[in-house]
Amino acid sequence: MSGKEFFVNRYEQIGWEFEDAKPRQAIRINVTNAKGKNLEERLQASGVQLDKVPFLETGYWVRSAQVSAGATAEYLLGLYSIQEAAAQIPATLFTALKDRTVLDACAAPGGKTVQLAYLMGNTGVLVALDVKKQRLGALSNHLERCHVSNAVVYNLDARQASRLKLKFDKILLDAPCSGNFAAGRFWFERRTLEDVERNAGLQREILAEAAACLSDEGEIVYSTCSLEPEENEVNMDWAIKHLSLQIEEIDCHGQKGLTEVFGSQLDGSVARCRRIWPAETQGFFVCKLKKVGEKQ
Amino acid sequence: MKAIKNFVFQCGAKLSLSPEFILNKGGRFFLVSNNLRGYIQKDFYYAGTYLGKAKKGKFFPSFNLLTILAKGDANKIVVDKKAAWLFICGRDIFRRGILTVRGSRRKGDHTLVMNEFGECLGFGKIVCRLDGEAKKMEVAVENVSDVGDFLRREA
Repeated sequence: MSGKEFFVNRYEQIGWEFEDAKPRQAIRINVTNAKGKNLEERLQASGVQLDKVPFLETGYWVRSAQVSAGATAEYLLGLYSIQEAAAQIPATLFTALKDRTVLDACAAPGGKTVQLAYLMGNTGVLVALDVKKQRLGALSNHLERCHVSNAVVYNLDARQASRLKLKFDKILLDAPCSGNFAAGRFWFERRTLEDVERNAGLQREILAEAAACLSDEGEIVYSTCSLEPEENEVNMDWAIKHLSLQIEEIDCHGQKGLTEVFGSQLDGSVARCRRIWPAETQGFFVCKLKKVGEKQ
Repeated sequence: MKAIKNFVFQCGAKLSLSPEFILNKGGRFFLVSNNLRGYIQKDFYYAGTYLGKAKKGKFFPSFNLLTILAKGDANKIVVDKKAAWLFICGRDIFRRGILTVRGSRRKGDHTLVMNEFGECLGFGKIVCRLDGEAKKMEVAVENVSDVGDFLRREA
């Protein structure tokens, strides 16, 4: 069960007609570092033209660039980060991040970690985990380049986060996923339904651990760049039925989450999730969960 | 700690660092706040503000440390746009690219390299006196470390 025809047929079954997409390059301004520095003007002088992303406060599309947007002095000085537009959404969905204890459960290469640090105003504590040690170098470079000062990084599997013996007010769970065709070359040739099901299982394990580390009234923002319902709406339906979590309303770009998937009916609150089909952005899914009283 | 202090001194700067807020992880130094300190366990990989690393008796400062020093009275040169770009590409600085000099002009001293916007691009070693007598086409400051390193590290 693989191949382009197989997956495109699945997308049709859940209401999306396939069209090829090439996501636009996007940047996110690191507001604290860029304050008062006329960044747009400076980039324009270097030959980088920007368009505001309508659904993001600090996100811009790169309309054209005579130099690589990832090699300007302004980039190297941490005034902005290269971050795909849809991927800029999850960190913005938390309420009141300042002075909180926050976990970025699958952090490398660190785009969202840096974004969280800015939204926290470099206050509180931001714990960042990644299971792959070789990815921590890129994460550390990102933190150093962007002058983040409130983060602690561990080489730790998110499924073992409770080893830290900490309770978190907010948890960002940008889960390892199957990705999507718009973000990966040869995606259709490489992916199978078995991959999707394996990743969905791994995501549920991480979700369960995140829920165990969440403080009362705490929030989890769950996201993937997968289009497959098993990794998205179906997992959210599972989470609210097994983990004392409820899905919160969010106000952001994207379509409502699916409540009927391949003949199965999901909880109505799953519609509060947001699903983004590939177009100017890559494919993406995001959901905000809140801890509720323990189920008896 | 001594390595950091020596480097700060070589840059003509002053920096008061309380040892209780400095963590040494295998030769890598981190500055952590009182609040953060309570959350750091011994197997951490990175924490707070990275200050640099000591290796074989030599100290390699981070760009965070250089930025902190640049806010104070360290040796500094401000360079023009072209020299700034060449510097972050790993090149040395010619006398003609230097707009202003603050602090030491002495050969052998370290100096921070700033762009026209007052941002620290790295640091270098003064290799000829930074006064009017130096020839304009002469290398005046040798590149020791620049922010272009962020790209080179991951290449």
